[in-house]
Amino acid sequence: MIKKLNSAIKKRPIIGWSILAFVMVGVFLLGLLAASITERRAEIATLYSNKKVEIKGIEPKSDIWGINYPREYTTWKKTKEMDFKSKHNGNMPLDVLEERPEMVVLWAGYAFAMDYSAPRGHFHAIDDVRNTLRTASPMNPGEGDIQPSTCWTCKSPDVPRMMSEIGIEKFYKSNWSQFGAEIVNPIGCADCHDPKTMSLTITRPALIEAFQRSGKDITKATPQEMRSLACAQCHVEYYFKGDGKYLTLPWDKGMNVEDIEKYYDEVKHVDWVHNLSKAPMLKAQHPDYEMFLLGPHSKRGLSCADCHMPYVSEGGIKYSDHQVMSPLKKVSSTCQTCHRDSQEQLISYVYEYQDKVNEIRDRIEKELSKAHIMAKTAWDKGANEKTMTPVLELIRQSQWRWDYVVASHGSSFHAPVESQRILAHSLDRALLAQLELQKVLIDLGVRDVKMPDISSKAKAQTYIGLDMKTITQKKENFKQTVIPKWIEKAKKDGKLS
Amino acid sequence: MSRAHSYLSDEPEACINCHIMSPYYDTWQHSSHRNYAHCNDCHVPQNNVISKFYFKAADGLYHSAVFTAHAEPQSIRPRDPSYTVIMNNCIRCHEHLNTAMVNTGRISFKDTKKGEGKACWDCHTDVPHTKVSNISSSPNSLAPMPKSPVPNWLKNSIK
Repeated sequence: MIKKLNSAIKKRPIIGWSILAFVMVGVFLLGLLAASITERRAEIATLYSNKKVEIKGIEPKSDIWGINYPREYTTWKKTKEMDFKSKHNGNMPLDVLEERPEMVVLWAGYAFAMDYSAPRGHFHAIDDVRNTLRTASPMNPGEGDIQPSTCWTCKSPDVPRMMSEIGIEKFYKSNWSQFGAEIVNPIGCADCHDPKTMSLTITRPALIEAFQRSGKDITKATPQEMRSLACAQCHVEYYFKGDGKYLTLPWDKGMNVEDIEKYYDEVKHVDWVHNLSKAPMLKAQHPDYEMFLLGPHSKRGLSCADCHMPYVSEGGIKYSDHQVMSPLKKVSSTCQTCHRDSQEQLISYVYEYQDKVNEIRDRIEKELSKAHIMAKTAWDKGANEKTMTPVLELIRQSQWRWDYVVASHGSSFHAPVESQRILAHSLDRALLAQLELQKVLIDLGVRDVKMPDISSKAKAQTYIGLDMKTITQKKENFKQTVIPKWIEKAKKDGKLS
Repeated sequence: MSRAHSYLSDEPEACINCHIMSPYYDTWQHSSHRNYAHCNDCHVPQNNVISKFYFKAADGLYHSAVFTAHAEPQSIRPRDPSYTVIMNNCIRCHEHLNTAMVNTGRISFKDTKKGEGKACWDCHTDVPHTKVSNISSSPNSLAPMPKSPVPNWLKNSIK
């Protein structure tokens, strides 16, 4: 055999060379394997000697932390990516009003009717709050604001810095545009971490105060609870209390949708009076944490971070992935840790929950916007306050429930049964309101309510009387003149790297 | 070093040369199977030497390629050929129970894929690696466990 091979090679040397090349490639690949095993063992040993800078006080610039913790920093930076869309959301902006123009009618008279889009990652927090039409176009600090400084609260690690510098009350009481050159770093390391120990920490007063009022001590929270409470600093229902616009979590009576409604009713809180129906409305913010607590994953002891910031192993090093986003992008490190099903099956289960909740949501948006328009017609035809009050109460209750589920972005998955229950009550109240309105209208001699054309965002906005052209033009001007000045000043003052 | 020679053995420790398998080693080490079956008893064919080493080489090279390319998934799952081997090995040891007492061992993994019957682990979900499967679940455990809980210096001084 060898002799045969020898003579073959002598005749055609190319055979010999190819055998040599083949063996060389094989040896090289095996070498790579041996090297990678040795290298990954060494990684563990170097982890503890990696601290390169000492971080003191409140350091809002995440890139400085990134020198010490490159893996967490790199994955955090990935929250700027806009490359994932699941069936319903993802990490890219999506004009929700364009998709669901009825929502413009539901929010008539409130800033959300101008602009509402699906959220992007933490990295975009500052850009998005500057650019949304909801913060309007204040051309000089404190002039032309429609929002208080409280709107910055969840957007940046500069917020705890400012609060410690000027005091909490004064921070909330200011106008939004007064801190344009101060609050410049997007949600980052210092929002959740203690710089010395790197353990999780609560930097926002509202959560601590809500715990105190309910007689609970947040310092007693377990590490696993902290992995949700760090998120619950912001991903909760809240309101701006009184003239001081003091950020408050309405948990005094309990944490479900009815308890919170009872609290608002008792303190007579009204977010705005509806433009069309004149109903005293509530706007739900994003009760993500409250809804999560009522779902199966929370009841089995999971935290937000288990699925939204899953542990990953990179070679020999285990760390938490700081690209906070939909777990559907990373099924292997999230769902499949506990569930044996295939990726396709797991994703389809989530879509099934979401689709079913959306089925009812679609119905509510149709019927509730109709109720608002019917109420407007009743007012136009001379309805009196006494007959309208119970109707408007139903509208307030219906919309509060609808908004509670819709604004809590993940609720259809986090707590599918609770979401369905709340939406069922919302639809029920929307239809009850319509029934009552029918009676009022018949008494006024109206047999037919003319429905306006609200088939697109633009048409709906025109219907509720928004001059979008002027609003958008002002905003463009603001973006081009004011924001660059804020950034320039922040850089000059060393607030931004 | 990569302890290359160990890959020819049946020692479970060979499977954790690359440490991403540690969580799977640990869960097995704490399971009822630890006294009766090693990794190879379940994860490579046991019908004859040729198919055993052929499968072992093919699977091992696949593992090493994935590992070298840093392409491992966070939750490791068997591929279909592996599932087939595992199920055959369940039946191999539990044959009497599975074929004489009940009929669950008279089918193969292929049949379960067609919806004809269940795979063993569809019901025995904890066996043997528990329900949690993630290479981050216990990455820093001491695997293999130290042979004795008594340190050497103490052993020597008691003697």
